[in-house]
Formats: sequence, C-alpha cells, structure tokens
Amino acid sequence: MLTLERVTKRFGGLTAVRDVSLEVREGDLLGIIGPNGAGKTTLFNVISGYYRPDGGRVLLAGRDVGGEPPHVICRLGLTRTFQIVKPFGNLSVLDNVMIGALTRLPRVAAARDEARRVIDSCGLGPYAGARAKALPVGLRKRLEVARALATRPRLLLLDEVMAGLNPTELGGIVELIRRLHAEGLTLIVIEHIMAAMMRLARRIVVLHHGETIAEGRPDEITRDRRVIDAYLGEEFVLAEA
Amino acid sequence: MPALAPGRWVAVALFGIVALVPAGVRDAYLLDSVILILLWGALSAAWNVAGGYAGQVSLGHAAFFGIGAYSAALMTARFQQSPWLGLVLGVVLSIVAGGVIGYLSNRLRGPYFALSTIAFSQVLLIVASRWRGFTAGSEGIPVPFRPGFWTLGLGHVAWVYLALGVAVLYYGVAIWLETSRVGYQLAGVREDEDAAEALGIASRRLKVYAVTLSAAMTSVVGTFWAQYVGFVDPFYVFSIDLSVRFALNTIIGGIGTGLGPFLGSLLITSLETYLRATFSGMKTGFAGIYLVIYGTALILVVRFVPEGLTGLAARLRVRSSRAHA
Repeated sequence: MLTLERVTKRFGGLTAVRDVSLEVREGDLLGIIGPNGAGKTTLFNVISGYYRPDGGRVLLAGRDVGGEPPHVICRLGLTRTFQIVKPFGNLSVLDNVMIGALTRLPRVAAARDEARRVIDSCGLGPYAGARAKALPVGLRKRLEVARALATRPRLLLLDEVMAGLNPTELGGIVELIRRLHAEGLTLIVIEHIMAAMMRLARRIVVLHHGETIAEGRPDEITRDRRVIDAYLGEEFVLAEA
Repeated sequence: MPALAPGRWVAVALFGIVALVPAGVRDAYLLDSVILILLWGALSAAWNVAGGYAGQVSLGHAAFFGIGAYSAALMTARFQQSPWLGLVLGVVLSIVAGGVIGYLSNRLRGPYFALSTIAFSQVLLIVASRWRGFTAGSEGIPVPFRPGFWTLGLGHVAWVYLALGVAVLYYGVAIWLETSRVGYQLAGVREDEDAAEALGIASRRLKVYAVTLSAAMTSVVGTFWAQYVGFVDPFYVFSIDLSVRFALNTIIGGIGTGLGPFLGSLLITSLETYLRATFSGMKTGFAGIYLVIYGTALILVVRFVPEGLTGLAARLRVRSSRAHA
C-alpha cells in the first residue's frame, strides 16, 4: 500500500531523514518510535506531502507521490493528524469534522450526516456543538482523529495522538485505534512513549538520528541493543512494556 | 424548509424597508444617503469575502474599487462607450489583479500581506495620477451624464433599486459562503491552512479564488460608484482611507458575517453624514470635529465590541434567553 524507498530529507547541512525504507501492507498497524529529534515527524511530513523528499521515492498504491501536495495525497487515501493539534478553533466540533467529510461527500447535508456518525463513533457526540478551541487536549486529540477519519482514508497516519494525555484518556484513544484497525483501517502510528506503543503495534520501526536502526515485533525491539542505547537511560521504560 | 436564523430576518427586514423607501420618500438628500449606505455596504461585503471569509485582511482594496471606477469613467468619457462595458472591463482587470494579490497571500502572511496590498493600491494611484495623457492625471475625470439605463444615467429612485440589487446579491454571496461546500472549506483554510490541506482541500487555490472574487465584486461597485457620483479622482478612489473604510465597516458590523458589512455601513455612513451636516455650519475651527467624534466612536467599538454589532446582538440574545430560562 505504501512503500518508502531510501527516502532522504535534508535541512541545510542537517539530514533529518536518511535512506529510510519501509513497506506498509493493507491492514498493517505500524509503529514508528524514536527519541526526540529522531526524524519521525519529518518522515510523516514527507509521506503526507508537506516536504518534498531530497532523495528516494514515496509510493502510494504503486504511484510515486513524492512532491505531490498534501490535498492530493489525502484524496488518494492517505490522511494524517498533527502532533501539535490543529483544530479549526473557532468552528464547532461538528463543522470541523464536516469539513473533512466534504472531501468525499460534496453535498453538505450528506457530509453533515457522515460527520455526526464519525463524531459519535469517536466518542465526541456530546461535544458536537462545542467550539473546538474550548475542548480539553484529550478531546482535541480525538477531534484530530475524527476529522481525519471523515476523509475516509485507507491509510491513516497518527502523529503522537497519545502524548500529553492522562491515563484514562490514553486508554480511550488506544481502544479507538485498536477498533479502527480491527475495522480494516491501515495505520502508521508515531509515538514517543514506548510503553503505549508496545501494547498497540504489531510491527515497530525505530528511528534514531534520521535512520532506521531497528525493525521488528515489539518483543524483538525491546531486546535490541541499539534501541536500548538510543533510549539511553530509558531501559526501565522498555522493561515496563 | 429550515427556520431562518435571526440575522437572516434582520436582513430581510432591512432590505425590505429599503425597497419601500422610494415609495414614500422623495427627498433627494435622504435617497442619496440610502444609496451610499447600500454601496458602502456592498463594498464592505465584497471586502468581507477576502478579509472575513478567507481571512486575508487586505488594506488595498481601493485598488479594485479604482480599477472599476476608472474603467467605466474612461470608457464613457474617453471612448463614448457604455459604462456597462467599463464594468466588464473593470471586472476582467480586477480578476487579473486579484489573482496577483491572491498569489501574494500564499507568499506573505498577516501584516506582510496587508502591507503588500497597500503598496499595490499605491502603485495604481501613482499610475493613475501621473499618466496624464490617458487618465487626465490628478485632475480626475468627470463622468458625462447621459440619461438612460445603458448609459447608467439614472434618477435617485432607480439608483436605490440598482444599489439594492447589488447589495442583496452580495448578501447572497455571503450566505452561499456560509452554507456551501466551498464556504465550509474556505472556513477551514481561514482557521488553519495546513490542517485544511491535510483534509484534501487545495488551500492555496481556494484562497486565490476568494481574493479574486472579492476583487471582482469590489470593482463592480467601483463602477457604479463612479457613475453615480459622476467624478473620479485618483487620490480618492485609490486612497488608503477608502481601503480602511471597507475593512472598518465590516469589522464594526461583524467580520465574517453576512449582515455585518451592511450594519457597519448603516452605522458609519449615517454617523458620518449626520456629524458632517451638524458641524459643517460652525466656525472653521470646528470643521473637522466630525472626524474626531467619528474616530472616538471607532475606538469605543473596537475596544468594547470587538466582535462587531452582529456579535453584540448574539451576546445579548444569549443573555436574554438565559434570563428567561
């Protein structure tokens, strides 16, 4: 479904992503982890069209989408969320999600119905009329997911949707992601917190200084020496997972 | 059929009253005020498409106003053609110029965009005031009055209906922007361009379209204004004052709302006319006093009702419904 071939992204003299290759198949739930500054979000920005890759290819369903703008990539079935959530702050939750739904459903009434359905399925039903910027962060993260889902993606990229949440909120969002995956959605999930990721992903890619240093099942990753070194001092986090 | 929002009823009432005015009023001074309120309202509504709905605050919309005014004035005075042809020419030129400004909005954000629009209108001012052979330069162009619809030589009553037609049409554009797919997508772009892109919206293109539409709408009223007033002066039609006025009417009335620009125009235009009439008879020392009062009123509104008249109305409505509950 999505193939990265030796993708590289440089900013001036800094190589933020170097020769990253990976393969995501239909139905996958791939995790990408790595310490701060490892290049996770940069990689997402390249995949979703915000950055043009300086090297390598991004193939979405066999088509090279490197350099295509984000809205084209969204229409091809790949939607992403943002680590720093970007709600349409002055609009209601319903309108936020509806704007996503309008991408596939040109009729406003149909998009509104679809938005209601998505909002309910994401547990945002009681907040449909609330202004997006009035929501607490946990619900804003949910809104970010709901809005992306409304575009009916085949592949969804989640950028740290669990960061900054309390344990209850965290449990809720993990459950939501599991359900979406069970319903057949393919996902790539970036997370800084390894423990959360260990419970969720089938397969994990570890980035460090822009390079892939490990790839495998969660239990393989936790035993990998290079991963432990990269997360120096965080060995206990791995153990907890 | 869904119930109309309160703002819609106010609009229906306002436009309805205006439609009835010529039946009872023959006073040219009053009719003139009504025409100006409608034209200023329509201009502010045009500005609102870019500044309110698309979030691209321009302080150079006088450029498009001047393009419309000059196109028609030159078409009639220099080429003896119909001002309607001038209107079409003005729209075409404004679409081109609006496209350039819209493109700039993708390069420059916030204050930088606003500054570039000012610069743009000032460039046109210099061209219009210096290109004497063609535009008559700073002398300006008197627009010949030839009675008839095709020549836009109309009486006050006909002007009321023409201005009302434009105002209702522009209000309709605002309603369309609040209820259509494009309107929702534009709201997304205004709130967060990157997020809108991620959701499949071609943000940059949509912004350019909005600014271009706004420019064309402004140009149309520029043409009507020139034909109504009968004189085009480069230092007026391309002035920053004028650009600021479009923005202020809208901000005071309620930015990003259908009714706001018209309420703002009603308030500001009446206030200005009243103050000017009241104080102009006094000694020279008081000649400019209406500007002081006008300025003070603006400061008070921006300080205490920053969301504009429509926002104030919504606030009061919420308060009274709570009081009744």
